[in-house]
Amino acid sequence: MSETIWSVIGTFNYVVLAYFVLLNVVYLGTSVFALRALRRYALRLKSLDLTELITSGGAPSISLIAPAHNEALTCVESVRSLLKIEYPDFEVLVVNDGSKDDTLARLREAFQLEPASRIPTATVPTATVREVYRSRTHPSLFVIDKENGGKADALNAGLNYCYTPTFCAMDADSLLEPEALIRIVRPFLEDATTIAAGGILRIANGCRIEKGRVVEVRLPKSLLARFQVLEYLRVFLAGRMGWASLDASLIISGAFGIFSREPVVSAGGYATDTVGEDMELVVRLHRYHSEKGLPYKIHFVPDPVAWTECPESVAVLARQRDRWQRGLYQSLTRHSRMLLNPRYGKAGLLAFPYFFFLEMLGPVIELLGYLSFILTISSGRADWWFVGAFLAMAIVLGGVLSLAAVALEELSFRRYPRRSDLLQLFGLAALESFGYRQLNTWWRVKGTYSALRGVEGWGRMTRTGFQS
Amino acid sequence: MELFGTSTDGVGHEPVFGALIAIVAALFIVTLVFSVYAFVLRLRHEARDRERARYASKWKDRILLALADDDEARALQESVEEDERLPFVGFAVQYARRVRGDGREALSRLVKPFLGPIVERADSRRVEIRARAIQTLGTLGLPEHSARLIAALDDPSPLVAMVAARALSFGEAPEYAEAVLSRLHRFTGWNRRFLASMLASMGPSVTATLRAGLADSGAEARSRAVAAEALQIQADLGAGDVAAGVLRTTTDRDLLASTLRLVREVGRPEHAESVRMHVRSPDLAVRAQALHALGTVGGEAEIPQLVEAMRDPSPWAALNATEGLLAAGGGRLLAEMAASGDGVGALARQVLAGGSH
Repeated sequence: MSETIWSVIGTFNYVVLAYFVLLNVVYLGTSVFALRALRRYALRLKSLDLTELITSGGAPSISLIAPAHNEALTCVESVRSLLKIEYPDFEVLVVNDGSKDDTLARLREAFQLEPASRIPTATVPTATVREVYRSRTHPSLFVIDKENGGKADALNAGLNYCYTPTFCAMDADSLLEPEALIRIVRPFLEDATTIAAGGILRIANGCRIEKGRVVEVRLPKSLLARFQVLEYLRVFLAGRMGWASLDASLIISGAFGIFSREPVVSAGGYATDTVGEDMELVVRLHRYHSEKGLPYKIHFVPDPVAWTECPESVAVLARQRDRWQRGLYQSLTRHSRMLLNPRYGKAGLLAFPYFFFLEMLGPVIELLGYLSFILTISSGRADWWFVGAFLAMAIVLGGVLSLAAVALEELSFRRYPRRSDLLQLFGLAALESFGYRQLNTWWRVKGTYSALRGVEGWGRMTRTGFQS
Repeated sequence: MELFGTSTDGVGHEPVFGALIAIVAALFIVTLVFSVYAFVLRLRHEARDRERARYASKWKDRILLALADDDEARALQESVEEDERLPFVGFAVQYARRVRGDGREALSRLVKPFLGPIVERADSRRVEIRARAIQTLGTLGLPEHSARLIAALDDPSPLVAMVAARALSFGEAPEYAEAVLSRLHRFTGWNRRFLASMLASMGPSVTATLRAGLADSGAEARSRAVAAEALQIQADLGAGDVAAGVLRTTTDRDLLASTLRLVREVGRPEHAESVRMHVRSPDLAVRAQALHALGTVGGEAEIPQLVEAMRDPSPWAALNATEGLLAAGGGRLLAEMAASGDGVGALARQVLAGGSH
């Protein structure tokens, strides 16, 4: 290779180094903001009795919208757990999104469903609704049976039949903790401009579950799932908490978030032409409110928990990450006018550039960095001391970020009660940089490529059902 | 100099290499700090859990006995060590939240000698500590702290002010109500329904003040709307005339909607005229509430208008009109409509089945 090419590679290595430093500075920054916000939140919790606050009246009624597609294995247990939620006024709207298995039959049998009159209160376009059922045994349970249209379409159908001022979007196979709604609704009480709030997702694999409730929290047995536990801690406690404390949340997880119904309907409901409908909605809500000059707040609440099953096979995890990356790409490119645009406040000036340059384009830079790195080393042109120092920095920094998330967990909610769990989380933080991180980068690059090629669809997600 | 990509003699690499090494060392130290921090937090939490369990085994039964026995209460007070005073108050307050009346008073007397540090904390510079202290004092409900609670309504922190307001709202004393109502503007950021519920929970002693608040055309529309909703929760039959007056004079959307809900709850036929002014409002929330209220207060005379409104392009307005129709005595008509297969039939079936929210 000519010296010019080596010179380009050398320069590119600097770009990678700059990207790497910037990414981790942002991670560390959000961790610091999250630390401050979590401490304040924990103290606030002690100063207002949450249950008394909610049960004394005035809490907004909520519709839980749970889309279900071929969920026969888990739907009855999930719905039972939803019906047991501790909240003064809520309805459950299960949207059967054209399931080909016996999801509807199981629900009909378990909850004695019968056809009910319920007119839609909004007209967000959806696939045809075949029938609305109401449970004879649980009058607050409705099942909307519709033709298949995807998760966003199912959520829109739920939105059309939602009669409450707020709704909670969730996955039918997630398990909400009994107090989850009481906790997540708090921003709606304290701040009338709140339009959305996200809760935390935790991984149920390995936990003991009885009658739709997590009764014992354990780390999963599979290493792949354990890495995801650590990853979720980092994403939610350090990332989302940090961004929310800056008033710049761009994501509320589709598995558990609560929204004011009216702004979502006004903004057009969920986008059905993206696989990242959860992020796209939040970005659009930012845009809608900023462009109309409407006051609004989007919060993250760190203690309401939805437990979810994570993939334990490499193939399924790869498909999930591919989809997440496509969703990210679609959401950001669709609203690219927000990028560095002061009109959109902190969302446009801080969060959007972070997601655009570091989360969306970052994996590509990182992968190219690996290749350039390998090329440089294999050519014998590398300074081995330098390489060693750089690798050490990468590994130690990865560990710092993960350990910061573990420390945030200890500081706040301490859901993993055994000391051995804590020690295992330490170990995972050290191990994560050897393989798991690189795999993730590869899947995300593939996701970006899929998005560029216009690949659609969710990819097959295999569920094993919660282990009781 | 090119990173990784030139000669292996290290010439020119020293500054960057030195920086890398320094960063690695610093990060390694941060890693250790986080690890130790997390582990220390775990140990501290475990110690706290053990301490809580110890206090529970030490005090739980005795506190329950002390509620009914003054001698046991005195003995328990004497047994509390100097360094256990704050935990004892914290432990007892948990029970104070669950009991009312005599039980609450007995608990308050029990912890009264130990409240000095809590009162000091009510002046802490940290908002959350002040709020927690005010909450504790409020939960115990001792009259000697009421002035402190009322003063906390003017605390610079909205959180502290709200904690104080909630504590006072349990007091059911007119002077507390006055104090809270006169500072309603401090809570404008809070959810309206939640504020109304808090005010309504203060009982009949605040009703007259709420009516005056609703009638006060010089007050903020939002405060008046809160008063209207509180009166609705209280189902104050005397508020109908005030509400009708508000309907004739205000144009504020939220105030109109809240007042129409109040009229629906407590209105009489003579208020129908004020309601009728709004049944064609371009604002959906106002129109929907007006249609429902009209059916409730207007009676059978309003049936033709409500039947027409069942075809309103807004499903909310149509649904409210249908509910109004049922309230106006149009049940038989609705039953006939329910047989039809069109949208009106679906509305009728839904309302007859009690399926509206």
